[in-house]
Amino acid sequence: MVRFLAVRLSLIILTLLVVSVIIFMVTEVLPGDAAQQQLGQSATPESLAALRASMGLDRPAYVRYFDWIGSALQGDLGESLKYKKPVAEVIGPRLYNSVILLIFAFVISVPTAVITGVWAGVRRNSFGDQFVSIMSLVGISLPEFVTGILFIVIFASWLDWLPSSSILLPGTSPLTRPSILVLPTLTMTGVLFAYIMRMTRANVIDVMETDYVRTAILKGLPMRRIIFRHIIPNAMLPTISVIAVNIGWMLGGLIIVENVFAYPGIGSLLLVAIVSRDVPMLQALSLIIAMTYAVSNLFADLSYGLLNPRIRIS
Amino acid sequence: MNEKQQGIAPLVQVDQLAVTFYTPTGVVHAVRDASFEIMRGQVLGLVGESGCGKSTAAFAIMGYLPGIHRVEGHISFEGRDITEMSASEVRELRGNRIAMVYQDPATSLNPSMRVGPQVEESLQTNLNLSSQQAHERTVRLFESVGLADPANIGRRYPHELSGGMQQRIVIALALACDPDLLIMDEPTTGLDVTTEATILDLVVDLKRRVRAGILFVSHNLGVIARVADRVAVMYAGQVIEQAPVRELFKNTHHPYTAGLLSCVPRPISEDEVTTKLISIPGVVYEASRDDIDACLFASRCPMVQDQCQEEAPEMFNAGNEHESGCFFWNDVQKGLWEKEIPREEIDHEGSLVLTAENLRKFYGRWQRKYLFFGPRVKPPVRALVDADFDVRSGRTLGVVGESGSGKTTMARTVAGLTPRNRGELKLRGEDLAPEVEERNRQQRDALRMVFQNPTASLNPQLPISHTILRSLRKLAGLNRKESRERAAELLQAVGLDPAYLGRLPGELSGGEQQRVALAGAFAGNAEIIIADEAVSSLDVSVQAQVLDLLGKHQREEGTSYIFISHDLGVVRYVSDDIMVLYAGHVAESGPADSVLKPPMHPYTEALLSAAPVPDPDAKPTTIRLPGAVPTLLERFQGCFFAGRCPRKLGPICDQTPPPERVGPDSHDHVIYCHITVEELKAMQQ
Repeated sequence: MVRFLAVRLSLIILTLLVVSVIIFMVTEVLPGDAAQQQLGQSATPESLAALRASMGLDRPAYVRYFDWIGSALQGDLGESLKYKKPVAEVIGPRLYNSVILLIFAFVISVPTAVITGVWAGVRRNSFGDQFVSIMSLVGISLPEFVTGILFIVIFASWLDWLPSSSILLPGTSPLTRPSILVLPTLTMTGVLFAYIMRMTRANVIDVMETDYVRTAILKGLPMRRIIFRHIIPNAMLPTISVIAVNIGWMLGGLIIVENVFAYPGIGSLLLVAIVSRDVPMLQALSLIIAMTYAVSNLFADLSYGLLNPRIRIS
Repeated sequence: MNEKQQGIAPLVQVDQLAVTFYTPTGVVHAVRDASFEIMRGQVLGLVGESGCGKSTAAFAIMGYLPGIHRVEGHISFEGRDITEMSASEVRELRGNRIAMVYQDPATSLNPSMRVGPQVEESLQTNLNLSSQQAHERTVRLFESVGLADPANIGRRYPHELSGGMQQRIVIALALACDPDLLIMDEPTTGLDVTTEATILDLVVDLKRRVRAGILFVSHNLGVIARVADRVAVMYAGQVIEQAPVRELFKNTHHPYTAGLLSCVPRPISEDEVTTKLISIPGVVYEASRDDIDACLFASRCPMVQDQCQEEAPEMFNAGNEHESGCFFWNDVQKGLWEKEIPREEIDHEGSLVLTAENLRKFYGRWQRKYLFFGPRVKPPVRALVDADFDVRSGRTLGVVGESGSGKTTMARTVAGLTPRNRGELKLRGEDLAPEVEERNRQQRDALRMVFQNPTASLNPQLPISHTILRSLRKLAGLNRKESRERAAELLQAVGLDPAYLGRLPGELSGGEQQRVALAGAFAGNAEIIIADEAVSSLDVSVQAQVLDLLGKHQREEGTSYIFISHDLGVVRYVSDDIMVLYAGHVAESGPADSVLKPPMHPYTEALLSAAPVPDPDAKPTTIRLPGAVPTLLERFQGCFFAGRCPRKLGPICDQTPPPERVGPDSHDHVIYCHITVEELKAMQQ
């Protein structure tokens, strides 16, 4: 177990280092550097050069990379060009908001999706199964910005049950106004639910055709026991990696959903950073997203190992 | 004499059973007409080639058939008809009164559940035992099926057990509720011969111990001869012959059964000569075709008459409780298929084609605790350790051993598919590079390999002409027109119509695919063809065809073969020389007769003893090898076989590697054993 964790953690660090190099290189080739950004198109070459020298932008790229990564490791992610504040200070509360949204979406979609998936898989080709399958296909085919706007039209404009936008005063937690969380959560849940449910259903169907389920049936066990002891534990194994991959998926959805609902999280912040070419902010956010991916995959592998005795890490 | 005559009703009575599946691709008549009875305390063997409906008949008795299907006829269990029972009534029988043992124990056990609870849950459900009682009973069951450490083995997961142990767990599970009927569906197929022998011993023992009826389904006549009291032979979904086991093997009354019996090569024949195998021409009457008013075997039958084409035969009583579905059952005799002619033995010595010296292959390398640092924790797998052998022109080197003994590794290092770590490999005196890419064109042409699974080794998207033409153009250097002609010739040589050239592999049966693979191997005029379990997945009648094909090609072209098989009968039949491998070491090698008649090395002796013989009167053998081949992670201090050797001398076997001894009959016969050749020989008398 220690060996496994040590290996995996060092691999994650390695991955993040590679990612940081790539991020740095990408921001490097973007047209217009931070100095250009600050002074605008009409700046004279002399003033540009002076600002570059004062910001240290005239040094070679590798020196600036180590400078950046060195401070990042000490917790200093630099200063945001747009907000004129330390990056960490801007990201902090936004990250908190996003995490709350993610947790809600995750906690709601995963259990319901798994339960529905098992239910549909066991009743393969029944009316209920076909209904759920078709609905989930619809869910997958509709992108978040369509469902989000649809929800706004239905629940905010027509029915007027919920607020259409999720703007928060700076410094307040979304938990103080739970009503603004409902629609973003619902939108995020849609696609996630559909994916996980379809995957669970497919795995349940696969497992139901295995020899060991046949053995369980021919032992004379009641169906309930077969489902809970023999089908679900084995069908969950591949589903878990799908769920982990979906955490990454959710980060993509997060950017869209937060912008549709004007929710103050890191997704909307990322878009702002891109538009305003706020390079230090962009670098920091990309690193956070990469880290989330890596860590969620590690969790997936760990839980996979717990469920699957064949690769149980001893 | 039998219970029926004493007026005791049979336990199971299957009467004119027919099972039809309706699939998207058409109607499948899996079982057309099967009638048989099973008595308490009796083993009924159900035998036939693949696709003859054996397993479907067995599952029909369990009331378990997949997909959309129709069952006709009756299956009465203690007088009640299973086909008419409700789902809950059938469920009450399953596991409790009728239990089943499956073909593949590895997939039949839930991989994420410990094996003990898998047995306990059946006891708790069917017998309403408390978990404590169920646990105690499970331990007793594990003990009764011969599992070591019965108290603790239940805490293991299926993957932590060997194939033989897994099958014992499945048998324990089947016996859990003292069933009245035990159905065993190919329970030893896929297990090593040594494991198979111990499982069959267990079945024979069960027969005496429990008063259940046993239905034993197998394609292997040797296995059936060992365990069955009565045998029913199935062909194309019909039971075509039924008799007590001795009667069936001695006085065969159906041409199909007679054909099957002469397809099977026997492991040893101490005094008799090995006779040439016959093969049944054509293919099984397909399950997709409708029933017709004729004998379904007529198109393949050597004694077919007009009557067979016009009317379907019923079961005729041939006396001695023997029934046959042939109009002319009384005319079925030995030699019906072909004259029993002795196999042509090769007497020439042959010139040296391939020599291997100290051939070694270790898989993996030492693994360290923390990737690149820390102490060394996991050693490489010592798959093949310093093997010496040679292959002579026009001769066949048979390689035998249990799974994990290094047979396939040896084949792959010779072919260059896995590079060897050490040792010399010489083709006609020239050095062969470890990897096939580094060998020159001629060397590559000289060695061809045929694999076990033809379906997996032919590209499903390309017509079979591709396989053969490519070899001809690339290896034999023929032009387009010449290669077309030669390809047609080759297909004819392997008994296939040249029209097959345009077909895709998926349109061919397994046997046809393997013959295409062989034609591809023949195409390159290879000097050595390496056949790795090339006939193992084939039905006996097709296997016989392929074996004869190999023999014919060898006589005509002088090709050498390295023939790997776990089936000693097959190896004995094709081989001129035999090499016995164990745990990556050569245990014994030499001319076939010197190695097998009589066996000298204790491991060879144990293998032979385990091999099932298709003769119910064969002398029962007693030597059994418990356990499995060791993991090969550690270097053997002494003899590689010491851990399982039934003739172990003592500490010397554990401490010193065995000396090389020369056999009594031939200088080429080498035995690695601490026991002297004289003593080994004396043990066989």
